Amino acid sequence: MQNSAFFHFLTLLLFKQKSKHIGAVLISVVIIFLLSSVLFLSTSLRYSLLATMDKQADFTVTRMQAGKAVNTPSAWTDKILEINGVTKVAPRVYGRYFFAPRENAFLIVGVDFFDEQSSQALERLIGKVDMKRFFSEESMLVGEGVRQFLRAHYFNRDFTFKTPVGKFKKVTIFQTLPESANLIANDMIVMPIDLAREIFGMQEDEVTDITFNVPNDAEWDNIVTKLHLMFYDVRVIDKREIKKAYENLYNYKGGLFLLLYLITIVTFMLILYQRYSMVYSTERKEIGILRAVGWSIRDILKLKFYENLVIVIVSFIIGVLLAYLYVFVLGAPLLDRLFLGGANLHNHVSFVPVVEFGTLGSVFLFYAIPFLAAVLIPAWKIAVTPPKEAML
Amino acid sequence: MVILENVTKVYNEGTPQAFEALRAVNLHLAEGETVILSGVSGSGKSTLLSLIAALDKPSSGKIIVEGELVSKLPDLHASAYRAKTIGVVFQHFNLLETLSVEENVMAPLINTGLPLETIKTMAAKSMETAAIVHKASQEVKALSGGEKQRCAIARALVHDPKLILCDEPTANLDKANSLKFIEILRTLRSMGKTVIVATHDPLFEGLDFVDRVFHMEDGAIVNQESGAGSPEQ
Repeated sequence: MQNSAFFHFLTLLLFKQKSKHIGAVLISVVIIFLLSSVLFLSTSLRYSLLATMDKQADFTVTRMQAGKAVNTPSAWTDKILEINGVTKVAPRVYGRYFFAPRENAFLIVGVDFFDEQSSQALERLIGKVDMKRFFSEESMLVGEGVRQFLRAHYFNRDFTFKTPVGKFKKVTIFQTLPESANLIANDMIVMPIDLAREIFGMQEDEVTDITFNVPNDAEWDNIVTKLHLMFYDVRVIDKREIKKAYENLYNYKGGLFLLLYLITIVTFMLILYQRYSMVYSTERKEIGILRAVGWSIRDILKLKFYENLVIVIVSFIIGVLLAYLYVFVLGAPLLDRLFLGGANLHNHVSFVPVVEFGTLGSVFLFYAIPFLAAVLIPAWKIAVTPPKEAML
Repeated sequence: MVILENVTKVYNEGTPQAFEALRAVNLHLAEGETVILSGVSGSGKSTLLSLIAALDKPSSGKIIVEGELVSKLPDLHASAYRAKTIGVVFQHFNLLETLSVEENVMAPLINTGLPLETIKTMAAKSMETAAIVHKASQEVKALSGGEKQRCAIARALVHDPKLILCDEPTANLDKANSLKFIEILRTLRSMGKTVIVATHDPLFEGLDFVDRVFHMEDGAIVNQESGAGSPEQ
């Protein structure tokens, strides 16, 4: 094979000059590891959230007063049901309950356990609930984060809520929601809808908002128009807007990391460029010697290209594998706080392994091209100088 | 075989630091000749060799080797010329320190398109001629000065060049190794190679296989003597 001697020589140089390359490989691995971890994490979170979003209702309506969302009359439910093309109309009661001593807030969700749609959704999440036992006393289901927080404050069996009218309401912890739901349910408390109303001080004919589906996408805009004609003070949010908001949130966080990555990569490339440009470097002498024994500039560039391509590929594979293990096996300790930050309770989330090969390919190209340029340009500059000077 | 016509080399040309290293050098060497370029350090011997080896370009004049105008060769052709026609033994050996003797010797043949096995066979033959085959697998950095020199000779011979250029080949060797080198030169001569040795080592005086001795001073050939190996002697 015509190139066998060349690749044999390339392998020799790589193995016998390990110490020369080890620094570049280590730094490359760290950079690729960090970038891939961020990408894996944001992709996984986006995937999970969007998968969750797909199960959510198509529309949410709330009442607005003076530009502020207020409680929605439950009578709207029936009016919305009358609109053709609308299905699965569900009133919801939920809100933040502020635990002042520790400045933490829980998300309380009131569920009509006798509503077929709500009970099915709950059953999918936690399995069959023993209704008899659940309703034997005032009970609630709590997310993993809430459970841990309450335990840390010695609320092992129950928790006492303070209502807006100054009453205390003791509610028993019936069950913890599964850890797999932590991404959305970590700080959540699920309780009967009437109990939630009492804790929030809402009237019986009020709900927080109303959700519904419109199976025919083409009708979405018409339905929004009808709602605005029906209620002068309504605010309609469709699922696409929420999706966009989530995507923007993670793109924004990912973008920040991308910026940091760009700064790091530029710094590293400058260091590499300088290293290869050094007047008295062994690199320079090696190129001079090879030129003196008959290698052309093209041969030199070919050698340096393949030598550094191997370094980039090896670093890339190691970096990506380490990132995969770090995110999907170890659960991305430390980095998860940066991405899940904003939640007031610490959240343990199992990240769903999602790998977008297109994104990985872009990472490779964004890394490989500047890396090779940072090495090949100085190598070319040395190769075009007379070999006699390069060997000095 | 080698023709130099009015070759000059000026470093830092056009600047106040301009330095004329070679001044109108003329030289005609026949095939199979062994010649010595003698002179003190800085007399222009090494510069002359590097121009013949196309490692640098002359400021003016013509250098023709084997009918090829070396002084005007573009890079690709200059590389091919170095890879085929000449072998150079440098004063400081200029070996790839992290590689073994065999790997260093193979280096000039890597881009010739020859199969790896053929290259290895050629390297073995060359190492045998340079009496370094017993150190083939040893890393160059672990070799003595004499062994490095023999490795450099093997590398210069591996592609069977017609012209061998040796730049101060014994400057970093003790007497015993210098004598060994001279014996290798004798072998090269018997192989019909054209050899140019730039040296100021007195050991090269009066060698029985040297055809001519050129004395250089301030970048010019000031004197030419027939060596003991010349038919005139």
